[in-house]
Order: sequence, then C-alpha cells, then structure tokens
Amino acid sequence: MPIGAVVFWILALVTVGSAAVVVLARSLIYSAFALLFTFFGVAGLYVLLGADFLAATQLLIYVGGILVLLLFGVMLTHKIYDLDLRSEITQPWAGPLVAGGIFVILTAIAVQTEWATGAPRPPAPTTRTIGEMFMGPFLLPFEAASILLLVALMGAAMIVRRKKDA
Amino acid sequence: MITLPHYLVVSAALFSLGMLGILTRRNAVNVLMGVELVLNSANLNLVAFSRFGPGNLGGQLFAVFVIVIAAAEVAVALAIVLTLYRLRRTPNLDEADILKG
Amino acid sequence: MTEVLRSAALFTPEIALTTGLLLVVLVDASGASWRNTVGRFLTVATLALALFLALRLLPAGSPGASIFSGMVVVDPLGLFFKVILLAASLLTVLLFTFRNSRELFGLGHGEFYALLLAVTLSNLLMAASNDIVMLYLSLEMVSITSYVMVAYMKGDRMSNEASLKYLLFGAVSTGAMLYGLSLLYGMTGTTSLPHIQEFLTGDLSTQGRKAVYLTTFLITAGFGFKVAAVPFHFWCPDVYQGAPTPVTAFLSVAPKAAGFAIMLRFFFGSMAQAGTGPWDLAGTIDWPQLLMVVSVLTMTVGNVAALTQTNMKRLLAYSSIAHAGYIMMGVVALSANGARGMMIYLAAYLFMNLGAFLVVTLVHLQDGTFDLRDYAGLYRRAPLLTVAMGIFLLSLVGIPPFVGFMGKLYVFAAIVERGPEYWWYAVAAAVNAAIAAFYYFRIMKTMAIDAGNENKPAFALAFADGAAVFLLAAANFLPIFFWSGIEGWARQSLTLYAGR
Repeated sequence: MPIGAVVFWILALVTVGSAAVVVLARSLIYSAFALLFTFFGVAGLYVLLGADFLAATQLLIYVGGILVLLLFGVMLTHKIYDLDLRSEITQPWAGPLVAGGIFVILTAIAVQTEWATGAPRPPAPTTRTIGEMFMGPFLLPFEAASILLLVALMGAAMIVRRKKDA
Repeated sequence: MITLPHYLVVSAALFSLGMLGILTRRNAVNVLMGVELVLNSANLNLVAFSRFGPGNLGGQLFAVFVIVIAAAEVAVALAIVLTLYRLRRTPNLDEADILKG
Repeated sequence: MTEVLRSAALFTPEIALTTGLLLVVLVDASGASWRNTVGRFLTVATLALALFLALRLLPAGSPGASIFSGMVVVDPLGLFFKVILLAASLLTVLLFTFRNSRELFGLGHGEFYALLLAVTLSNLLMAASNDIVMLYLSLEMVSITSYVMVAYMKGDRMSNEASLKYLLFGAVSTGAMLYGLSLLYGMTGTTSLPHIQEFLTGDLSTQGRKAVYLTTFLITAGFGFKVAAVPFHFWCPDVYQGAPTPVTAFLSVAPKAAGFAIMLRFFFGSMAQAGTGPWDLAGTIDWPQLLMVVSVLTMTVGNVAALTQTNMKRLLAYSSIAHAGYIMMGVVALSANGARGMMIYLAAYLFMNLGAFLVVTLVHLQDGTFDLRDYAGLYRRAPLLTVAMGIFLLSLVGIPPFVGFMGKLYVFAAIVERGPEYWWYAVAAAVNAAIAAFYYFRIMKTMAIDAGNENKPAFALAFADGAAVFLLAAANFLPIFFWSGIEGWARQSLTLYAGR
C-alpha cells in the first residue's frame, strides 16, 4: 500500500475514533481531550487534501481558540462527570439507531453520486490564491464576517459581564 | 488509491457521530461538541470537493468562513452557559425546565 | 477596484447601516452621560436613512444587478423585502423604548441598539444573497445576533435558558444545512446560486436526484428553523416567552421575513419576468408537495397548540408559527401571484404582529403580567388599548377590511388558481384560519366582556405609547383605501435578477 494511503487510513482512524470517544465518554474532560485529537486528525486530512492554509487555520482557531474556550467552559462549570448518558424519556437504542441510519444513507449517497470532478492536479500552495480571492470575489463575505466577529465579541462580553449597566 | 468517496465516508461518519452526540447528551457543552463535529464533517466535505472537483478553491474559502462562524457561535454559547451556570448551578439541559413544553 | 466601487453604489443601505452600527458602538463606549439618547437618535436616523436609500435604490423597471462578484444581488424583489425588514427594525426601535418595556428597564442601551443594527444588516444581506457562502454567512449572522438579543436579560433565568435552547437548536439545524450545502457544492463545483439552479433545472440522473432530495431535506432544516416551520419549530414558544418582549416582537417579524426571502430565492430557480402563470419547477424535484405538507403541519400545530395557551407571549408564538404556515402557501403556489401574496402577507403581518406585541408590552408595564386571565376587564380600564388590540386580533384572524384579510386573500387566491389538486390544501388552510379565530376571539372576549380585575389601579398610558398604538391600528385599517398603489408596488417588485 502506498504511503499516502497508509497516512490516510491512520488519520481517518484517529479522527473517527476520537470522535466516537467525544460522543460516548462518560467524563466531560475525556470528551474535550478526544475532541483535540479529532481536530488534529481533520487538520491532517486537510494537509493530505492539499489545503495547507486551511490546515493551519484549523489548528490555530479550532484547537487554539474553540477547544480552549470549551475547556474553559468545562472547567468553570465544574461538571466533570455526567450522571447518565441518556435522558430517562427516550429508549437507549433510539439515538444510535438514528445515527446509524444517517451514516448508511450518507455513505450510500457519497458512493453512488457523480460528483463534479476535474482533471487530477498536483497539490499546490493555496495561501496566495486564497488571499487573492478574499480581496477579490469573496470581499463581501470577508467584511461581513468581520462585523459578525465584532458583534459576537460584544454580545458575549455583554452577557457575561457582572457589572451593572446604566 | 485514495479517492473522493473515501473522504466523504469519513465525513459521513463524523456527521453521524456528531448527530449521535447531539441527540443523546444532556450537558450543553457536550451538545456543543457534537455540533462542532457536524461542522467539521461539512468542512471536510467542502475541502475534499475542492480538491477532487474542478479547480476552484471555493470550497476551501467556504470552509474558512465556517471556521470563523463556529468560533463566534462557541463564544456566545459559552457566555450563555456560564451565565446559566451562575444562575442555576447546572449546565444540564434537562434541568433547564422553567420553560415548560 | 472598479467592481467594488460599482457594487458599493448599489449597496448604500447596508453601508449606511454599517456606519451607524460603528458609530453607535463608539458612542456607547465613550461612557458619556448622554450616550443613551445619542445612541437612540443615531439608531433611528440610521434606519430611516437606510430605508430612504433602499426605496430610491433601483429605478422603476430595472431588472436589478449582481454586485460584489455575484455574492449579492440587488433586484426589485430583494428591495421589497429590504423595505419590510428596515421598516420592522425602525418600528421596533420607535415603538419599544427602554421606558415602556419593564423587561428592558435597567439594562444597557448601547448594546441593544448595536445588536439591532447588526441584525438588520444581516437580514438585508440574507434577503439579497446569491451565493451559498453568503447565504450561510448571513443566516448565521442573523442567528448569532438573535441569540445574544434573546439573552439580553442576563440576570433572568428564563431569558438565558431560552437563548441556550435557541442556540443549540439553531446550531444543529444550520449544521445540517451546511452539510447539505457542501453536497450541493460537490455536485455542481460552484458556490454561485444561479449556476447551481442551472444544474438543478437540467437533466439529473437517478443517482443525482437522490442526492438532490437529501440536500433539499437538509437545507430545508436550516430554512425551517429560521421561519419556525414544523418540525423545526420547537425552539419558538420557549424563546418567544423567555426573550424580552421587544426582542420577541422583532424576531416574530424580521428574521422570518428574511428567511422567506431566501426561501423564495433558493427554491424558485432562475426566473426573470413578473409573469402571469406558474413558474418553472426546478428540475423534476417535487418542491411543492414537500412544502405543502410542511405548511399544513405548521399551520395545524401552531393553531392547535395556541388554543390552550394562557401566556400571551407563548400564544402569540404559536400564532406566529401558524402564520408562517400561511405565508408558505405563497411559496407552494410557485407562481408570480404566490410570490406577490407572500409579500403582501408579510407586509400586513408586520403591522398586526408588532401591534399585538406592543399591547402585551404595555399591559406588562402596567400590571406586570403576561397571563391572559389578567387581561379580563381591560376594556373598562383602557378602552383605547382594548379597541386597538381588537383591531390587531381581527387583522390576524383575517377579517375584512383589515390588512390581514388582504394577505390571506392573496395567498389563498394564488393556491386556488393553481388547480383542483391544490384545493384540499386551500381547504385545510381555511379550516386552520377558523380554528385560529377561536383563540383570537377568546382574547377579545376576555378583554372586553369578562369581569374581574376591577380593584386594579387605573391604566396609566403615556401619550407616546397611546399614539403609537393608535397609529398601528390605523395602519391595519387604512391601507385598504390605498390598495391599488400597494398592489402595484408589489407587482412591480416581482422580478428576480436572473443574471450571473
């Protein structure tokens, strides 16, 4: 088996395996750390797909930002252990059944559909092109996203702040 | 040979696991982790399609925006969870029951 | 660069909103003693300016243009929705102040105005999106700002619970929608909606069709969440009850309208003319059947659930779910008349719903209650308010000569004229309207006829609030006299930009 395939399978197993731990683990801390491995796995898959800029962004923001925030949330709310995995109302097999069904349907669609394909090309550095696209066709979403971040920042700070407002 | 469907099946697995987490978990932070799995699966789709499809990087650009949006969402979510915890001393959804029905 | 400048010329309302937003943030950050008044003034001025610019944006008869490299499109249909959205925000700011809303009392002013301007900007972007990146981004912008607005009463447990439920439900729905959008990108290789619609209207193999079904189902999850259609409506009653009433009033109108705008744009394929007959179905996918079922379920669940509610905010929440079902009739009709019916209904809905919520807020200010049973005998204490509420309720039922009737008339007509196979649907909708009449009339009966609450103090209604209620009631009643003008404007706006 060529080295590329070996790397893919390793990354795929790490990603899906740690995702399973995230969802099934009893302790919130275990879930959070498994999520770390999932994000790393996904970043590795991005590298395999030639998306170098995106892999770096994934690491910086997902691992360095979002995961850290989630860990803060876990630590500050002191709920390290879950009491039970399921709520009392639903059957225990309903969730896995639905999820399994979803997986089967999605895989069937993934394998059978003719996706838009192009000529195979070697992977190339993407950073410059992405930068140019941000300043060109994707300028408006770029600016809109900055407004989103401003408002989310303000909003989150306002919600958490203890000080009395005027 | 690793082809497009290989990546799509991995992302399908992530999506299903994310949905499983959302459906079965009671703690809000856990549900949020499930949501992040779903978003990552969609991102993986986008990047895979970008690679194997006609040569545009639209998929990768879309994925960057998804990451940005996810960050903003998690920030607001945790702000609310923290405040809820302060007021209620539990982030468990089942115990958030003042609003009935 | 020239592309950007050319686009900016057609983007003036949004630019005005952004400038206003930044100014409001700066003013609030200054910490000066006058920042609340100046902030409010800036907000009103910005919204009024944006509304003025939107009305003047396109010359009559122009087919519109695609700006910012096809991300956003400016066309008559989009402008109609933008006017409704800007009017909704402007009315919310003018009607609900920090003085007449007990829930907002004592909370920060500046952030509220900034959030309102931001959500308005996001709504406008949503109504104009022509690319799936912009679609998803604007949808999430609206959602995230809404989550913060719902959590505004941060010391209140209900408000926090409501916003958490809203956030988690929304995140799941939009996550599923994103997965669907990624599949759409995979099938077409492009993020631009016109190209995607070309693909969908073209020849699809059986495999391709299955994938499109799945994609549509996933994307409908996102749209359904935004307009609170069944089965994505579960967040609605809790969120409407937990949020401060001004926020609820705003949410019941503006994001819903923006959601319908994007549904219209997404499902209607590449149409160009203000036509007379049915528009092309996008490919061989049965959008109408799917949406019909969703619409009937939405109406029924909304109306039946509202029958047993005693909390006014929850009742109005279920009522607005039902109205989303009626509005969907316009989408199902898949014709120019359907789109026109939807637009007229939304415009009417703006005035009736905001009016109802304003009355609820004023009663809460005076009596501190949202319970319907405490509304008994309101007629003796506040006759003007009761009469106005009666007008709003009659409009919501759909009784002539109020605007609510006109809205229902147009969507019903659009459905009936599509042919006999649609008639069961129209009948179901009519039955629903009758069921709805039950609970609307029950409110009126409680206010006017029921005895009780005589020992409560006299109702102190501020002049500004009374005038606002009176003007809204008039707005529900007077448009019937200018109907040809309004209908003409709606018909002119029926053009979706069809270019790239």
